[in-house]
Amino acid sequence: MQTHAESATVVRKPQREAPPGTARRRSAWCVRLVGLSTLAVGMALPFTADAAKVKGAVKNFRLLVNPVWEEAKSPKQHGYSFREPVPTVRAEFRRLFPDIPKELCIAALAPEKQKPEKPILIRVGGGRTTPVTIVLPPGTTLQFKNTDPFTHRLYGVKISTFQPNDTVKGGTRSWTVPGKGTFEIRDELAPSLRMWIVGEPNVAAIAYPSKKGQFLLTFDQPGDYTLQAFFSGKKVGAPKPVTVGQKDMDISRTPIRVAASKKKSKADEKKGK
Amino acid sequence: MLLSRFWYVLLALVLGGAIFVLFLATSMYNRAGARNMGEGLSADSQVVAWYLKNDARSRSAQLIKFALDPDVAKYLAKASANEQKVPSAARDKVRAALQRVSEKIAKDENFDAVFAVDQNGRVVAFLGYDQASGMEHFQLGGYPVVADALHGYIRDDTLVLDRLYRVVARPVEYDLGQMPAGAIVGARIIDDRFARELSARTGAAVAFYAKGQRVASGAPEGFDKSQLDQIVGDLENLKTDKDYQQKGRSNVRTISGLLGVVYARLPGEAWQLGAGYAVGRLPYHVAGPLGFFNKADDVDKKNANLLLVALIALFAAALGILFTLFEHTRPLHVFRTEAIRLAKGETDQMQPSKFRGVYRKIASDLNDGVDQVAAKGGVPRRAADLKQVMGDIPDQPQMSAFSFPGDPASSGPESSPQPSAPSRPMPSAPFQPSAPSHPKASTPGVPDATQASPGAPPRRPPPPNRPGARGDSEADEWRRVYEEFVATKQKCGENVEGFTYEKFEQTLKKNRDALVQRHGAKRVKFSVYVKEGKAALKASPIKA
Repeated sequence: MQTHAESATVVRKPQREAPPGTARRRSAWCVRLVGLSTLAVGMALPFTADAAKVKGAVKNFRLLVNPVWEEAKSPKQHGYSFREPVPTVRAEFRRLFPDIPKELCIAALAPEKQKPEKPILIRVGGGRTTPVTIVLPPGTTLQFKNTDPFTHRLYGVKISTFQPNDTVKGGTRSWTVPGKGTFEIRDELAPSLRMWIVGEPNVAAIAYPSKKGQFLLTFDQPGDYTLQAFFSGKKVGAPKPVTVGQKDMDISRTPIRVAASKKKSKADEKKGK
Repeated sequence: MLLSRFWYVLLALVLGGAIFVLFLATSMYNRAGARNMGEGLSADSQVVAWYLKNDARSRSAQLIKFALDPDVAKYLAKASANEQKVPSAARDKVRAALQRVSEKIAKDENFDAVFAVDQNGRVVAFLGYDQASGMEHFQLGGYPVVADALHGYIRDDTLVLDRLYRVVARPVEYDLGQMPAGAIVGARIIDDRFARELSARTGAAVAFYAKGQRVASGAPEGFDKSQLDQIVGDLENLKTDKDYQQKGRSNVRTISGLLGVVYARLPGEAWQLGAGYAVGRLPYHVAGPLGFFNKADDVDKKNANLLLVALIALFAAALGILFTLFEHTRPLHVFRTEAIRLAKGETDQMQPSKFRGVYRKIASDLNDGVDQVAAKGGVPRRAADLKQVMGDIPDQPQMSAFSFPGDPASSGPESSPQPSAPSRPMPSAPFQPSAPSHPKASTPGVPDATQASPGAPPRRPPPPNRPGARGDSEADEWRRVYEEFVATKQKCGENVEGFTYEKFEQTLKKNRDALVQRHGAKRVKFSVYVKEGKAALKASPIKA
């Protein structure tokens, strides 16, 4: 069910442990695809008709920098023999800002711990995973599917339960988030491939914004939530509290600022000095 | 024989020196060859790096043709606008455009695969990468090279995917006020064809490796590229090569004995994955001094001064032959001639003065032998000409009866003019056995006249039982000589009046004493002969 045609937003409707006094209980995580077909296959789950939707937005995401690309542009990395800007491309676009539909994860954190349910499909291909950053309750199983025509060898950095192993074309590999914390996944055969999995017990729903920064979160239950953006396994921007009721709501007028603006940054620097 | 021996020693020294120099030259040649190989390998490695960079640059220029195609830009923009799914119309249009542009590019400047990628990193269309056919979610947006192109950069990369690829990418712009609509990516497979082309243009023997295996190789003519397969066994050792790990290029490494190799990492993601290329060379090397003959080509042989070499060889040979002729062949010939004469009876003994070196000793020994035979009852022998015995010595003992060199009596009225030396000695009187023991012959401590004579080899004294040598006293012998001399003078028509034995004896004594004193002889034997029609007397110093 596509509710926002212009938005490439994934909305997961979670079932969280019902707080005292809450009548409705959901049996499982509900992951729903809204617009972004690339995540629909693995994350589409039954959707409840009475779910409330929260439409939001992020800003300053072009001030974020993809760490892999940023690192690769350094001459010390010997990543190229020549690298030259095209003069006709405006300078503002030359920043290596991330592809936020894959890299910026908006997580709705509930006050209580959430229960993991169905496996999540992660596509491995094109030099990265889709998504790049994901926030999940511990115990959630991830299924890594190789969508490239050649083999990948994924492994978890300092993760004993995720040792390097080949995943052939079309093959899948499962791994369960062991606990709270940030886990990094890499590929021995593709250095540019880096994925961050954030184990967050209280995550009730996640969404990925569109290219324009708009996202849509779907909640199973009304209540108080905190919206937090994650990028490259880290929190970015300030947490945004939101109270979800029975009706859909739009908070895009007050977008989540995932990076400090340039002017403000300069002002902060001056203050610091 | 001295010259010959000196020549032999000299030749041996020269030969030894030449061999030593050859060994030195071999070592220096091999060292210089190894140094040249190292320099050549460094140059090859640099040239290959430059070629790869230059090739990427020139091919990135070809990407402009794709980027400027209106359909490519337009439909990439449409695909980018749809974040959910790539419109099939866009796929078809872009693919057709890629095909159309690709056909216009010269074969040697074209790509093995071309990809059109939208802003979302999805591959909208591609050519030449059949592995991805039918894959709906095929994308490339995560690779830094593609990300850079989507953000407005032109750059290259080397990707290790199912194969090794050299990749260049550039943005595709549709609306200059917006982000690039997508990127166009061109890839060349690094295979044997690529390596051969690279080798042909750089002259280097090169092998590419990835994941611990050789993936491609190419070498110029005359270089067996299968030798480059040996790098596989050395790749593991690169982990301990500091230069390779830190600078991306190893020093010259020698594998399998001779093959020199320099390893270099490929720029791009391949750098981190340990992929790279190796250039190899065989050094100019000779296994030993004789290896120069195999290594020399026509030009080398032409540059060699064969005339000078031939002249030196001829000169050395001629000098050696001359020495042997002078010191070996000629003395042997003289000796042989004299031996023939002796055999024919033309002479009853060898004349040591004619010989030199060992031949003189042999002649003396032969004479001694003849004397031994004669002493045992052999044929009588003539007295030797004193000159022939003694050789040309200043104080020539040859004399006539009254003319001894240095003898004051020779100027007396009874002395006849000194005859010149006869070419051949006249036959002497038959040998009369002498007393078994001569008083002087047995005198100890008196040197032999022949030993004192310069150049004359010593002769052994007659055996003690020699008949005549001991039976006759000197007075009897002189008396007999006197009678013979007088008879000869009469035969020659000379006047013998007043020629008494006393005078004769006095003269003989003087000359005997002079000769004994001068030559250290035990005694002197006198014999009569005719010289220039006159009777003459010959004195032969005899050792004991």
